[in-house]
Amino acid sequence: MKDEGKLMDCAQFKEIYHELDRPGTSGYRFRERALSHAETCPRCGALLTEGEALDFALWNLAERSADWNASPRIEANLLGEFQQVKLAGSRKRIRKQFAILGVAAAVLLALGIGVHQRMESGAPTAWLEAANLAGNPAAGTTTAAVAGGSTPPGESTSAVSASANPTDENEYAEEFVPVPYADDPAASEGGAIVRVTLPRSALASFGLPITASEGTDRVSADLIVSQDGTPQAIRLVSQENANSDF
Amino acid sequence: MKSETDSIDDGLLLRRVISGDEESFTLLYRRRHPAIYRFALHMSGNVAVAEDVTQEVFMTLIRDLKKFDPARGTLSGFLFGIARNHLRRRWEQDRRSVALPDDADELETLLAACAGAGKGSPSNGNGKANAPFLVRRDEFTSLETVARVRQAIATLPENYREAVVLCELEEMSYEEVASALDCPVGTVRSRLHRARALLAEKLHDEQPLRRVSAVGE
Repeated sequence: MKDEGKLMDCAQFKEIYHELDRPGTSGYRFRERALSHAETCPRCGALLTEGEALDFALWNLAERSADWNASPRIEANLLGEFQQVKLAGSRKRIRKQFAILGVAAAVLLALGIGVHQRMESGAPTAWLEAANLAGNPAAGTTTAAVAGGSTPPGESTSAVSASANPTDENEYAEEFVPVPYADDPAASEGGAIVRVTLPRSALASFGLPITASEGTDRVSADLIVSQDGTPQAIRLVSQENANSDF
Repeated sequence: MKSETDSIDDGLLLRRVISGDEESFTLLYRRRHPAIYRFALHMSGNVAVAEDVTQEVFMTLIRDLKKFDPARGTLSGFLFGIARNHLRRRWEQDRRSVALPDDADELETLLAACAGAGKGSPSNGNGKANAPFLVRRDEFTSLETVARVRQAIATLPENYREAVVLCELEEMSYEEVASALDCPVGTVRSRLHRARALLAEKLHDEQPLRRVSAVGE
């Protein structure tokens, strides 16, 4: 109702007369003007009277029904349900806590096993040290099995199998150097030491610094080869008199 | 005088209920269930349906407490909304729950019983007092009028009936009703306006409403 200053007309009155006593409505806001209009307009006056009678009848009905309540049985049922839901909720919580504890225990167990295995396999380079100790001076020929890295240092000299041929007294070998892609030291367990002869230029592929001018002759080298056939480490072997090559 | 429990707001009670406090649930139920029950009874005209709906409303509250979002409206509006959904579901299942003669009689009996209890005049369920108690004419007229109004409300279309029950009988604001009915405030206002016009028409068809006062006419 935009024209607040003007007198109310019948259309405006009909729109709001049912909410003259309802706070927060436009009827309540323009109550005085609506009443003034009803005093001057017999038809709207009659509407107002009828509306008031309806208000009273509704109020009367509301008054009479004010004490209506659901039977106590409903409250008892609901309390029973509430207790059940509460119980189920606490059971669910307990189950959840057990599940969390179970997962935590499993994680701890897995960690423990992992740490244990790591301790058993020793430090990543232990296998290499073992092999170096065993093979220096280098094994004379062919292959020798590489033992697990957990072997105590004192026994590590036996890490290279005794089946390897006796070391040639004239041979001189460097220490084993891991090849660049040998990222899993454990992979060499159960592997073998293989004596190979290869072009010097091929040493570059094992990560050894070789200049292009040096790459023409052939050299002997021991490779630690894992069970899957991947070279894990390399050392160069030479005769005493050829030591100057390296 | 307000008791200590009256001063606890619904939000706090709800939080306690969520944490499993049975007393808070009882308090909340006792505070909120009469309005829900009255709404269901006015809407269905059937005591059994009203009780079932009331029970279902609070069962829903127990099971899905966290569904209530205070940012979206009051708890009261939320509960009326659930009640309305349950009523509609029932009507879909069984259309005979509204305004059947038996149901109407049942509500008449209830109204008369309330009148009797309130005024100290026992009633036989027809709005007439049993001897030897005398019923003053104004009370009789009032009871008769109330019954007529209730019957007229029962014959209103559902949307209009909801508006009358919530706005007029439960004295809720347009905003609260809009939240409960999930519709705009303007819709509530127009439904109420139309419902009142229909009510006046229905009552006028029988006989003009008389204003009844405590001292009679």
